Amino acid sequence: MASTNGETDQVLVEERSCGRIFMLNRPKQLNALSAVMVSRLLELFLSCAEDSSVKFIIVKGQGRAFCAGGDVAAVVHDINRGNWKSGADYFRKEFTMNYVIATYIKPQVSILNGIVMGGGAGVSVHGRFRIATEKSLFAMPETALGLFPDIGASYFLSRLPGFFGEYVGLTGARLDGAEMLACGLATHFVQSESLPLLEEALVRAASSDPVVISSIIEQFSHAPNLKKNSAYHRLDVINKCFSRRTVEDIFEALERVSADKKDDWISSTIQSLKKASPMSLKISLRSIREGRLQGIGKCLVREFRMVCHVMLGEVSKDFVEGCRAILLDKDRNPKWAPSKLESISDEMVDRYFSKVDDADWEDLKLPVSSRLPAYAMAKL
Amino acid sequence: MEKANFRTQILTRHLQNRAPAASGGAVSRAPCLSYAPPEATASFDVSSMRKLMDGHNLGERDWLFNLMLQSKLFNPKLRGGRVFVAPDYNQSMEQQREMTMKRIQYLLDRGVFEGWMTGKGIEAEMRKLALLEVITIFDHSLAIKIGVHFFLWGGAIQFFGTKRHHDKWLRATETFLMKGCFAMTELGHGSNVRGIETITTYDPRTEEFIINTPCESAQKYWIGGAANHATHTVVFSQLNIEGKNEGVHAFITQIRDSDGNICPNIRIADCGHKIGLNGVDNGRIWFDNVRIPRENILNSVADVSSDGKYLSAIKDADQRFGAFMAPLTSGRVTIAVSAVYMAKMSLAIAIRYSLTRRAFSITPNGAEVLLLDYPSHQRRLLPLLAKTYAMSFAGNYLKLLYVRRTPQLIKTLHVVSSGLKATLTWHNMRTLQECREACGGQGLKTENRIGQLKGEYDVQSTFEGDNNVLMQQVSKALLAEYVAAKRKNKPFKELGLEHMNKPSPTIPSRLSSSTVHSSQFQNDIFCLRERDLLNRFAAEVSKYQAQGESKESAFNASYQLAEDLGRAFTDRAILQTFVEAENSLTDASLKNVLSLVRSMYVLVTLDEDPAFLRYGHLTTENAAIVRKEVVSLCSEIRPHALALVDSFGIPDGFLSPIAFDWVAANAWSASRD
Repeated sequence: MASTNGETDQVLVEERSCGRIFMLNRPKQLNALSAVMVSRLLELFLSCAEDSSVKFIIVKGQGRAFCAGGDVAAVVHDINRGNWKSGADYFRKEFTMNYVIATYIKPQVSILNGIVMGGGAGVSVHGRFRIATEKSLFAMPETALGLFPDIGASYFLSRLPGFFGEYVGLTGARLDGAEMLACGLATHFVQSESLPLLEEALVRAASSDPVVISSIIEQFSHAPNLKKNSAYHRLDVINKCFSRRTVEDIFEALERVSADKKDDWISSTIQSLKKASPMSLKISLRSIREGRLQGIGKCLVREFRMVCHVMLGEVSKDFVEGCRAILLDKDRNPKWAPSKLESISDEMVDRYFSKVDDADWEDLKLPVSSRLPAYAMAKL
Repeated sequence: MEKANFRTQILTRHLQNRAPAASGGAVSRAPCLSYAPPEATASFDVSSMRKLMDGHNLGERDWLFNLMLQSKLFNPKLRGGRVFVAPDYNQSMEQQREMTMKRIQYLLDRGVFEGWMTGKGIEAEMRKLALLEVITIFDHSLAIKIGVHFFLWGGAIQFFGTKRHHDKWLRATETFLMKGCFAMTELGHGSNVRGIETITTYDPRTEEFIINTPCESAQKYWIGGAANHATHTVVFSQLNIEGKNEGVHAFITQIRDSDGNICPNIRIADCGHKIGLNGVDNGRIWFDNVRIPRENILNSVADVSSDGKYLSAIKDADQRFGAFMAPLTSGRVTIAVSAVYMAKMSLAIAIRYSLTRRAFSITPNGAEVLLLDYPSHQRRLLPLLAKTYAMSFAGNYLKLLYVRRTPQLIKTLHVVSSGLKATLTWHNMRTLQECREACGGQGLKTENRIGQLKGEYDVQSTFEGDNNVLMQQVSKALLAEYVAAKRKNKPFKELGLEHMNKPSPTIPSRLSSSTVHSSQFQNDIFCLRERDLLNRFAAEVSKYQAQGESKESAFNASYQLAEDLGRAFTDRAILQTFVEAENSLTDASLKNVLSLVRSMYVLVTLDEDPAFLRYGHLTTENAAIVRKEVVSLCSEIRPHALALVDSFGIPDGFLSPIAFDWVAANAWSASRD
């Protein structure tokens, strides 16, 4: 294991012939992405892109999580000290990293053997291969925190089958490995006990050809059965309800289904929407809808504008409140403001999508890279 | 020698490529030519420009794009890693028709048509228009099938019907409890609706109307929805009461039961396969003394009492007929606007392709040149882009004129919608052809959309009024206005003719580059042409009349001037809407690029319409200056080309593979998927 100094121990790098293995190493925090980790990862991805001896990259997590998300506690701490701009710097770097991963020229294999949430999805889902296991647990829980699915989620959630992405993004529903594979968040499913052998095989093949890598992973993978009460079995209802134009319409559609027939899954779906920040629901839905019509770059630029407005708190301070209630005080009883969907006007929502009115502020500028593979080109 | 080296390198690469990809890795798989995305050099905010172009209901539009992208019913296909939706035109006519109905059901279930009949006010009308535009971007058949049901059938109920019809049919139409069609055109009569031969009489004993098709030329023809699906129709027919013909009236008639069986005394035949729009079931209908209850007459304009007396508040037969034609205006509005969206779509595809496809080097061993870097290619596409911008603003103006219509504005609406429907649909056909050719062989593939759209949209120059007839109506209306103003010696105050009250503008004998870019000059020269042609047209018609010709034959004989005048009126009206759109803006970067686009619109019109030279509005020297200026405008607009087409707001998935990575889309590996 190679590490250059104490700080960068949060990401361990292992050189295995032509492969590089990045290990997220902050297990006590479930590998939540600190600012240091984001910087380090970005630097690693960029340098490996240049290094002709590197053919592929594996990303995995230490302990029981792949990565539980971004370090929002630190960001809220910054906001509370009146320093939203350092939060903005964090997201700027994180989103840039998401973009680099999404347009990466060398294959990335992410081993999602545990919790994958928020920012953790940003490090993995944009990459070429995502391996789920029986231990995987995926969620985008941002609306419960007063945030919205960021890190380019408006790009990949909107491309899940039907309106499953809206469901996952708005409710924060948890998915297991089989569900991740079924909906396309994962490309393969491998039993965790086979992971060391898979890693060995990838290292031995030392190939940068996605076709070769794919066929190696396939040797270790199988198609798991969806659990009986999986949300993915409810895709029909999800499509019917979550395709509605507004959050209010989605509620109404769900309640109509629930009135027709008592159903625990529907009630818990309605419950999780009711617990979420109304403002978060509004901006998340619009973001996913716009994301479906945009490339990854535009999605990240839009999400960066949104996250800056969230931090600025001009329209709503739900992010600070959500983090207080869920992460800091842990009373799990956030007081959202505005507290109701109907008190949110279109103009309030529009604000989140506009440029930030601040002399020093700039839109997210994404690195330009030439000669991208078709896989990455298709995302632009 | 260098050329030989180059060939050797290519050959070597071919030979090396025979090694299996697995051992070689990514490098050996690189094609000889790789796709490079168009360089993005937007000097303005694309989303603000899109807001100006689409004009209204952006959230609803995006929602509907989302709905179509996420359903298998819209035939998503993966090409080069991207998903594109488009109908499968390789399906049989019958399959295409069934798909159209399935798509309608899907959109209905998702709430798309909510409020289309029962919604009130301008907001509801604009929402409906926006959603129909999005639908037309996916497929013309789908838009027409929906348009016939809501705008023609539904519109007839709304405008010709009264409360009893509204209560019975509006909500039922909105929820597709029934499917409506609109039986106006006959085999023997199309544009001349007053000449239709279907006859309706009244039987006071049973209080029924009796509708009859007296001869083969009276069969209803091209009736969209009639061949397979429609359950009800509005029939247009002469109404004969007590031996007197009261002119054309409209009646509701059921033609199928709810199981789809054709009703007694109705005969229906299929119009068969067409050059496009095969997802619409156009049919022919014969009525064999079909009896319908008295309340089925759409009686907002005229009625028949139970004892068989004809009653109408409008005594004048011409005016009565005019009232009946009102719903056709909505058709002309939606046709004009959808034509602009198709021009946008084909330009977005062809311009994106021209920014990534290269052909020929102009230096030895130099890189091949991008298509859009050839001045000649710019001249083919960029003027059409400018016209499309201008006509997009005109379309937005027309929509507002339509939704805010008042009885005083009916004439303006009729004239403007006629001129714009003809001009915008002709422009679209020309643009489609040019874009098809500009994409070379790729333009011939159905999956690349443009070529197919030629067949799909050709009908636009014919339905809801033949374009040539409509343009003559414009000139006729202008002449009437002229005659009235002169006779009463009063100023012009309608149809945008107010400029005729001022002294004739003067055009400098030698134009400078700054003059031709000024909106003052641009407005002047368009007004000058219109004024001059109107004077000439009036003079020629009255000359023929003085020779003893009737007004009608004098008009027919003056058709050349009538055509020139119709164009002059429409171009001037379009320019005005452009200037108004510019004036609504504060953003300097948008204003700057739009002023280039406006100048291009005007100057290319001056360059292409021989009327300016023919009637001496431009000297030959000035015409040469204008022509040169078009070339330099092409190079000025060239850097904005990508951002200008991105501003059309058509999502990538509704364009086509050649608009993006066409190398990946056509790779061997993709051909095996």
